[in-house]
Amino acid sequence: MTAEVVGGVDVAPPTVASRGRTARLRELAPFLPAGLLLGVLFFVPLAVMFIFSLWTTNANLDIVPTWNLDNYAQFFQTGAYVRTLAKTVAMGAAVTTICLLFSLAVAYFLARYISRRWARVALLVIIVPFWSSYLLRVYSWQAILGEKGALNQVLMGLGLISEPSRLFVYNDIGTFIVLTYVYLPFAILVLYASLERFDYTQLTAAQDLGASPSRAFRYILLPQIRPGLITAAIFVFIPILGEFLTPSMVGGASGLLIANLIQTFFKNALVPQGAALGLLIVAFVTVLLIIFRKYLRVEDVYARG
Amino acid sequence: MAKNVDPLETMPVSRYAGLTRWGLRLIFAFLMLFLYLPIVFMVAFSFDASQTPSFPIQGPTLHWYDVMINNRQLLSAVGNTISVSLIVAVLATIIGTMAAFVLVRGRLRYPNGVRIAFTMPIMVPGVLIGISLLIFFSRAVHANLSLMTVIAGQLVVTVPFVVLIVASRLQSFDRKLEWAAADLGASPRRTLRHVVLPLIAPAILAGALICITLSIDEFVITWFTVGNQLTLPTYIYTKIKFGVTPEVNAVATVMLVATLLIFGIASVVLGRGRRRLPGRRRRAAIPPA
Repeated sequence: MTAEVVGGVDVAPPTVASRGRTARLRELAPFLPAGLLLGVLFFVPLAVMFIFSLWTTNANLDIVPTWNLDNYAQFFQTGAYVRTLAKTVAMGAAVTTICLLFSLAVAYFLARYISRRWARVALLVIIVPFWSSYLLRVYSWQAILGEKGALNQVLMGLGLISEPSRLFVYNDIGTFIVLTYVYLPFAILVLYASLERFDYTQLTAAQDLGASPSRAFRYILLPQIRPGLITAAIFVFIPILGEFLTPSMVGGASGLLIANLIQTFFKNALVPQGAALGLLIVAFVTVLLIIFRKYLRVEDVYARG
Repeated sequence: MAKNVDPLETMPVSRYAGLTRWGLRLIFAFLMLFLYLPIVFMVAFSFDASQTPSFPIQGPTLHWYDVMINNRQLLSAVGNTISVSLIVAVLATIIGTMAAFVLVRGRLRYPNGVRIAFTMPIMVPGVLIGISLLIFFSRAVHANLSLMTVIAGQLVVTVPFVVLIVASRLQSFDRKLEWAAADLGASPRRTLRHVVLPLIAPAILAGALICITLSIDEFVITWFTVGNQLTLPTYIYTKIKFGVTPEVNAVATVMLVATLLIFGIASVVLGRGRRRLPGRRRRAAIPPA
């Protein structure tokens, strides 16, 4: 493309060849603040954390530069740590599954059974709880699930149980319920976006050709919304790997997850051990992000809110 | 219902259609209960005379709002939170918008790599960002933890949002409009000011609003990077540790109402603005020359 000059103004975008090195630097200059910010305050701290993870602590909890992978090896050799990691992954998988099922039903209802206008209002109503304090919303669950909580009152009032149950909170069930509560809206937003774009006459066509409704749903609808399902799963699963507040508030002693373990390491001044575990999670998340990079439309999830 | 029936709707439907419809309605109702119950409790306990948020309810009072207004520590925490969030939103919006232009239009060597790099701070759990920043600030550069380090930490997670949202808008932007402006004699600066910025303004505004909401409620990174000062979430956390939260519930209620008002006003204003601008669909209807 050659740059035509009309009245002294470039009509078509200039080509790379028409620009020198200084012009290219000038072009990239606006990127610098963000690039520096990301580099200095995100990647460099992770690199520093990696260096610490190779060091160790002596008996006085001073950090000694030893340069080995012992902290990583020690993590995998300690049964309790590996069990916590496995439990976190299982919890993440369970919450992700229930969120996908629940949000598929809700998003399908919004996309198919009510008008687009009201669906948007409903989505807004689903997001509004996010505009108030995360900590207090999670804390409020104690008043609902606790021994003297609303759920027990209701169940006793209905005569289903005779005395308050401690089953709902300060254990894995409490963590499961509250984590579902926290991440469900993200899954709904993502799935609604894919279900809204779906052409429902395809389902009718499939049924016209003899498919049962459930078969049409399974073989026509589900494959087409798979990107949405994967995106939703990532947006629920990955944050759970770093959840330490919800487990510490409603999980009790038995409901703690891997991020609580990291926090405990740091509280006890075991910086290298905590750094190693933290980096294991960062590495895991990074691998997931690279594998699923196609599906990560962050802006689609948040820009609706 | 009888008017304008889609011929497809007259197809024989499954025996379970009615059941499905009612099932889905029930699920939606349950969702609303599930999402709003904690909010209802949070608001309700701010009006309850009891010290701790638990049953039985002791009766309505505005006492905690009175306590809230006279609690210096709480008010300074709210003040810190608001100033931090405004600074973060302004800085993140400017830095992020500038970078978005280069990401979409500049010839970056590895645009996809840059994209993943900017997605990482959003997806990597906050606790890991917080801890790595704490190690970095306290053991590597020996910086004093303060509200400045909080702002720095929050910028790490807010700038990527602005970059990705504005970049997505720029990508769908019709560059012919810019060339038309240039063709009509506008300088690049004027084109930017009068053509490009007004068209991407909704994305910039959305980015800024997301920054503010994220920043106001940001706890994890703040917790690791804050010094002696308190922000509202860290104050709430210390209160929750002792189980005494009525005045904190009062603040949260006030802030929820304030946010609803701000968003309500913003959506009304934006809605009007959008109606005045030519919509994307109408623009597409004009055949390309």
